[in-house]
Amino acid sequence: MIELEQGGGGFKNNELIKELRQIINLKKDWSNIEDDSAVYDLGNQKLVFTTDAFIIDPIFFPGGDIGKIAVCGTINDLAVMGAQPIGLSLSIVIEEGFPKKDLLKIANSINQISQETQIPIVTGDTKVIDKGKLDKIEVTTSGVGLADNIINNSGCQPGDNIITSGDLGEHGLALLAYRFDYQTKIKSDCQPLINEINSVKNYLTSAKDPTRGGLAANINEIAKKSKVKIILDEKKLPYKKEVVALTNLLGLDIFNLPSEGRFIASVGQENTESVLNKLKEYNKEAKIIGQVEMGEGVFLKTKFNSLRKIEMPRGKLIPRIC
Amino acid sequence: MDKTTQQNINEIKNMAQQLDHVKLMELCGTHSQTIAKYNLKSLLPKNIELISGPGCPICVTDQQDIDIVIGLALNDIPIAIYGDALTLPGRQSTLEKAKQNGKNIFIVYSTEDALKLQKQYPKLVFFGIGFETTTPMTAWAIKQGLTVFSSHKLFPPAMETLLSNKDIQINGFINPGHVSAIIGSKIYNRFKFPQVITGFEPEDVIESIKLLIEMIINKNNKVINQYIRVVSEKGNQKALDLINEVFEIKDARWRGLGSIPLSGLKIKAKFKDNDAKFIYKDLITNIKKGFKPMENNCICGQILQGIKKSNDCPLFRKTCTPETPQGACMVSVEGACHINYKYS
Amino acid sequence: MCLAIPGKIKSISGHKAIIDYDGLEKEANVSLIDGQVDDYVIVHAGFAIEKLSKKDAAKTLKYFNNG
Repeated sequence: MIELEQGGGGFKNNELIKELRQIINLKKDWSNIEDDSAVYDLGNQKLVFTTDAFIIDPIFFPGGDIGKIAVCGTINDLAVMGAQPIGLSLSIVIEEGFPKKDLLKIANSINQISQETQIPIVTGDTKVIDKGKLDKIEVTTSGVGLADNIINNSGCQPGDNIITSGDLGEHGLALLAYRFDYQTKIKSDCQPLINEINSVKNYLTSAKDPTRGGLAANINEIAKKSKVKIILDEKKLPYKKEVVALTNLLGLDIFNLPSEGRFIASVGQENTESVLNKLKEYNKEAKIIGQVEMGEGVFLKTKFNSLRKIEMPRGKLIPRIC
Repeated sequence: MDKTTQQNINEIKNMAQQLDHVKLMELCGTHSQTIAKYNLKSLLPKNIELISGPGCPICVTDQQDIDIVIGLALNDIPIAIYGDALTLPGRQSTLEKAKQNGKNIFIVYSTEDALKLQKQYPKLVFFGIGFETTTPMTAWAIKQGLTVFSSHKLFPPAMETLLSNKDIQINGFINPGHVSAIIGSKIYNRFKFPQVITGFEPEDVIESIKLLIEMIINKNNKVINQYIRVVSEKGNQKALDLINEVFEIKDARWRGLGSIPLSGLKIKAKFKDNDAKFIYKDLITNIKKGFKPMENNCICGQILQGIKKSNDCPLFRKTCTPETPQGACMVSVEGACHINYKYS
Repeated sequence: MCLAIPGKIKSISGHKAIIDYDGLEKEANVSLIDGQVDDYVIVHAGFAIEKLSKKDAAKTLKYFNNG
């Protein structure tokens, strides 16, 4: 029987994907199959392709809705590979009885992002399922993009800095606060990252958007693929006090909290300052959060200078947040 | 780190040179978490050892209680629980499995939420787990009409049991913070043993370790209240009055520790209409007939008392993981094995 | 779960109060304490269990936010 945890973006999720990949195993000329997007070399350029399904709850949340997040999520998965998205697909499965005005609201959100980024939705599918067989609506987006150079998550080097494009966890906060009845001014950070990443992509040695599984899952992936040791600095952690407060009140690990409009990356020492200066034009909270060394694993250097491991998330994660 | 904490660490290192091997037990699971999150053990000299104690109420919930509540759920009685109880291992099942099989199991963050749910589900039973910090909330809700299956416990009797066990060589206790906020600091004076009631920040824990080592060197058996910002001598009288009004004390079985006299809380007869053990007496008797203790080599009991460590357990990291807990120490995020697994 | 961060009482209505935790607001039950607006409290499982002085609340929050 499949368990909730196997869709959570952590350890068990990865195990399930590995298992399915052993069955569905044809790769042909595609590479980066375990990255945010897969890559096909066209010769003079690379074709980049990704997909994502969204079953978020609630479907309307402070700062966005399921349509916005579905489109931003796929655009960002292409952007963190260094690709310029050229077109998206949109599949929607709707529960019978779903209010039409809500569907139109979601369509308008999707259009807004499409127009803002000038990335068209070029194909799609719409299905309706009997009442009770689905919780309101499910959205799947796929996207294709073109890249001159791919930002590989195996490219992080000892000596690099780990940076973030802004404060993290605000999407997680917005949804959890809503779910557990905490009032806050903080909205989801859901937004397309294409312009921000384009402004600095040539200097990034690895990049990911820390959605499901949060910083913990994504920084561990970079460390594993690049075969490096990453040390995050507790004194430089990019979380607002409300995010800290909520994770303490709910007993959650702050490193598992997702963002939907931020990216983390590794940058060489010599380029860090100029990259951050560029990123600060978009978000003044862009900053260095850690260092890359030889070795393996991800650690937190606490305010006492002791080190403790940050593992791939396991155990009960937060369902239906992305 | 702030100057005071650095000074405290330096003093600990200096004093430790005068001592052989010192074992300090942090009684509360949240202190164990703080120690692990900041890897405080790496800041201490090697001869100062920190051991996790039985202060995780989820971890010490008797297996029979879990089996009874699962039994109630399987008989279509809606159950409300605090989150950690979802994956508590009963003999063959968990409340989570019952939930996956379509039974009404609800996770609540407060007994007020449980009361709201009860309006929709009149037969709802709240699984009351917790020490003196959490019992007042249950007592309050019982007076408002909540039906409760009580597994609530008193903490000081467990300390008594630990102190009388000759297998355990502990030199000092880090006392729980919020249990103490309710029961007050005075009550601990009956244990002639070095104790420090401690706050939950790592700075608090370091200060408390320093104070304990000072007491040990000076052979002082005192209770120091380091958490004076929250804990008073007498405690929270309103909360204590509520507990006394609704509950009476009885012997109770603690998972891993066995029976501890006068450590359990039973709902008083005058509130029997809110007592699930009374309302479902016959059903519970039936469920108990099938009861058998879990058979595995889990050594949680010895781990909870600080006699053995997680690594001593044949199941740890093999069959017993956060996803597949075999015993209570792994289920709760405050359980010693769960913390060891995650942070080591 | 023992851990609770200090919150400030923003308003009280009967046995319920709105508590502000560093910018997050939620209702808590205050029937276990004698609380007033602007008091700092420790909240556990939805109930305020103890008050603390502003200075002490600041100490805990400083430890919290300092790393």
